Amino acid sequence: MASPDLLETPETDLKEELDLPWLVVVHNDPVNLMSYVAMVFRKIFGWSRERVDKHMMEVHTKGRSVVWSGGREQAEHYVQLLHASLLLATLEKSR
Amino acid sequence: MIFELTPSGNPCFSGIHPVLADLLRAVATDPWERYPEGSKRLLPSPSAEEDLCLDWQDHVQPGLRHQFDSDRKMIADDLKTMFLDLEKVREDSGDEGEGFRLEIPRDHAEAWLTTLNALRLAIASDHDLGERELAAQDPTDLSSDRGSALMQVNFYALVQECLLQIMEDEPGE
Repeated sequence: MASPDLLETPETDLKEELDLPWLVVVHNDPVNLMSYVAMVFRKIFGWSRERVDKHMMEVHTKGRSVVWSGGREQAEHYVQLLHASLLLATLEKSR
Repeated sequence: MIFELTPSGNPCFSGIHPVLADLLRAVATDPWERYPEGSKRLLPSPSAEEDLCLDWQDHVQPGLRHQFDSDRKMIADDLKTMFLDLEKVREDSGDEGEGFRLEIPRDHAEAWLTTLNALRLAIASDHDLGERELAAQDPTDLSSDRGSALMQVNFYALVQECLLQIMEDEPGE
């Protein structure tokens, strides 16, 4: 008979698997300056200029860009940081 | 208005026209009081899921609101140091016109950026200013409330651009 410890591990993994991925989406906003949004992306995600430019272009042309995906808790944290910088950001469950 | 860094590295605006000085003082305006409709944009919904939104309202938004208020109080204190610098104006341009000077502690720059952004968003939302108007190069009609609002939003964008220049030189976190 398996010990309780051994049973707990797969449950945790399964929970984590079901929890993934959540998407952090940044939406276009004509008021925010591009240079400001770029600064916020660099500050929060530590991205290179090239990666910042890619997401900026996506927001500009498609109206939205997925800037992060992963576990719900971390996704909520990123949305909170983006809201603290007044960016329009949402949390979505990946389909 | 001239933007430069002081020898100690602080961003500094000098030769500020009195009209622009008044606009700068207005940065300390509480957007929730002055623009109750427009300020709804400052705390957006995080999701289409109702439960998550309610949880966000209870546990996240009060902290964000507190942070915005703290930043604004810091800006209000910085603005109290803005002074009329007649000597500087005479030295630089030979004019005897009035010019204010505002030095911003470098570590306050981020609070300034957020506060300026909050006010720009609230004003733009309150006056329903869209992408076309914000990008327009035509002279603004200052005789209307809407035109004045657009001018204010654009002036704060200029101040933001100045502060962003110095932050680009700083290493990322």
